[in-house]
Amino acid sequence: MSLAAAWSERLNPIVVKEVRQGLRTRVFWIFFGLMLLACLCISLVAWATASEMGFDGGRTFFIAFYVCLAVVQFFIIPYTAYRSMAREREDETWVLLTLTGLGPRRILRGKLSSFIVQGLLYGSAAGPFLLFCYYLNGIDLPTIALCVATGAAWQLFLTSVCVCTATLAEARITRALLHFVLLGGLLWGLVSGIASVAGFVEGARNLFGDDTFWAVALGTLWALVTYAVLLFEAAAARLSLPTEHYARGPRIAFVAQVLGALALFLWGWERSGRDVEVLVAAEIFICLHIAFIGMFVASDVDGMSRRHWAGSQRLNLLKPGALRGFIMTFMVLFIVCGALTALWLGRHGTDDKQLRAMLAAPAFVVLYLAAPAALARLFDHHPSQTPVLVRVFTLGLVMLGSGVPPLVAVLLGMEPDQPFLNALNPVVGMVNLAKDEVGWEAVMLLYGVAGGFTILALSMMYARDQKPKELAPA
Amino acid sequence: MSLLSVKGLTRHYGPLKAVDDISFSLEEGTILGFIGPNGAGKSTTMRILATLDVPTAGQVLLDGKSVVDSPDQVRPLLGYMPDRYGTYDDMTVVEFLDFFARAYRLKGPERKKRVDSVMEFAGLTPLADKLTVALSKGMKQRVALGRTLLHDPRLLILDEPADGLDPRARIELRELLKALSAQGKAVLISSHILTELSEICDTCAIIEQGRLLATGPVAEILRGTAGAAPHHDLQLKLFGAGPALDEAAKKTERLLLEQPLVKNVSVEGSVIRLTIELQAGTAPTPGWGEEASVRLLKVLIAADAPVCSFQARELDLEDAFMTVTKGKVQ
Repeated sequence: MSLAAAWSERLNPIVVKEVRQGLRTRVFWIFFGLMLLACLCISLVAWATASEMGFDGGRTFFIAFYVCLAVVQFFIIPYTAYRSMAREREDETWVLLTLTGLGPRRILRGKLSSFIVQGLLYGSAAGPFLLFCYYLNGIDLPTIALCVATGAAWQLFLTSVCVCTATLAEARITRALLHFVLLGGLLWGLVSGIASVAGFVEGARNLFGDDTFWAVALGTLWALVTYAVLLFEAAAARLSLPTEHYARGPRIAFVAQVLGALALFLWGWERSGRDVEVLVAAEIFICLHIAFIGMFVASDVDGMSRRHWAGSQRLNLLKPGALRGFIMTFMVLFIVCGALTALWLGRHGTDDKQLRAMLAAPAFVVLYLAAPAALARLFDHHPSQTPVLVRVFTLGLVMLGSGVPPLVAVLLGMEPDQPFLNALNPVVGMVNLAKDEVGWEAVMLLYGVAGGFTILALSMMYARDQKPKELAPA
Repeated sequence: MSLLSVKGLTRHYGPLKAVDDISFSLEEGTILGFIGPNGAGKSTTMRILATLDVPTAGQVLLDGKSVVDSPDQVRPLLGYMPDRYGTYDDMTVVEFLDFFARAYRLKGPERKKRVDSVMEFAGLTPLADKLTVALSKGMKQRVALGRTLLHDPRLLILDEPADGLDPRARIELRELLKALSAQGKAVLISSHILTELSEICDTCAIIEQGRLLATGPVAEILRGTAGAAPHHDLQLKLFGAGPALDEAAKKTERLLLEQPLVKNVSVEGSVIRLTIELQAGTAPTPGWGEEASVRLLKVLIAADAPVCSFQARELDLEDAFMTVTKGKVQ
């Protein structure tokens, strides 16, 4: 067997299929041709006008070439990925793939890889034109490399979003709605992708020496890649059966992302000369992130299947079930916030406002994850609807908690940010803590309420986690 | 031990009992027809057997392995064909089969050999380089069947495979299924076309509103649905058309219902079906049914009923289905 044949045997079959199908479509060749034609036209204009534009011509033409590539990379490829995945679901070929034993993760990996390959094909065609700009002056190679890397990460992110979105809808009406939302999202992704690169190219010379720029660039790349992985794992989990290990991937990705973000912040903190304000910012940012992702991780269905139940440690946090997701979210939250607070104390931070904010931030997360988890379970509903109900309750409570107290305060003739009424307000309450409007009693109250809801939520989840979901003996 | 054993299988979707405590088994080399009205729970049951859904309760063992607890071990043993063909329009027949063979981890020459043999078995070799979108329904169905055979499964689960096929394609599919059964494969097939099933199935299971109403060999089910008392089924045809025929049919039906032993009279256009049934506990004498038929025919002729055909009728799967089910859907 030749080396190429042996390599082909080892390839994920989905990659082979998707690339084969992709290269046969009219969409691929039309856009490939249009992109090349546009690049060629721009090159001719560049050749004709280079002497007139002087030393800065490279930047303008780079942006022009980049726009040609971006249309394909940030819109066509992600949208094609969405259609490909949606078609597998609509035509029920998805179940046939599942039965081959490939598994949701391998199938999704194949889909994503194939669209990355398509992106590389487009990129390889546009690459020489992008490099050509270097010879037009006005742009250096590191700028070009960073733009290309960010573009690749942005494409990966958008493609993951699209593939993940395609797994969401079951009903035709929801699919149609999602389709339009996705098209809007991709247009926004295209415009913001181009605008970011254009802004960066224009200011690259000044930005390269700036530490903050590198921190933001690195953070953005990290966020794009890790969110892409998280979305990928979420999609794989969604396509898995309840008897499969669907919770493991998303939870590992979640923990890795949070710990990675913590490491990045610590690197930034070190570079900033160990400024304690970086720690406060890091904690608030990570708490916001955990609150958002935790809303999904902690709102799994109750219990786990007989297969997972048999011979397992019940508190293995990578196994399915709301109880384990909830505990994991809280553990991650307290480990990260605990580490940041310890560092803050270690740097002899003396500002009480900062310490209160650092202690209150995780308590708000706990409150707004535990309260909906408990309240949703008070209502009579089918067990499979628990996750949706908890998420709706979370969003509802956050909106009510942020909006109602200031309104009540105004109606009572007080200031909208009245400290007592806003003690549990996740927005105004945090601002009050940071402004020294309230003392430690507000933090204590917050901890008391959050702790109460946590105990209630845990006891309710524990009660629903007493037996495997299939009733028949194994 | 049966290849497939289903015990107390239950699947609830909230308050809806899609499948309610059904049990049956299937041996190697046999074909089981899964019959039921729309919404009866056939597809849900098949999806659970194919490891694509999990039951609320119950046990399904394929070759002794639980489809719930060990789906990864069960999947190589089964081939599932859903009611949609599931072909990729922009792939040729050979590419489609090669892709699935790769997915089933068949490698190199072994894969090529397997694809070739499946194409030959399903009669697809001349169509190997045709795009699947250009195939007829019957041929697409063959491609789908070929796909299910690539990994040489021991159990085939076919959901409405004859749906939408023309008579020739149906006959060809029937022959293919018989050949697979002869190879020792167990086949679980659902269909609305009961005449198709009665010709190929060794056993059948009738399901309605998620409950299994009857299961076993076709002949046994027919005996069971025919009732305990000795009986003789008849079918007669009236001559005529239009209002005159309707009038004659009504008159004949009334006359038949007045006769002793006559039961289950049903009129469908010019055809009247009925049963002559001895009272429970009465011992039948040899030829009682024929004698009763002769007496009935004499009555009809004396009443000047326009009877142009009068014959004994064999019960078939359709009768069993109509008797056992009540036509309810969920």
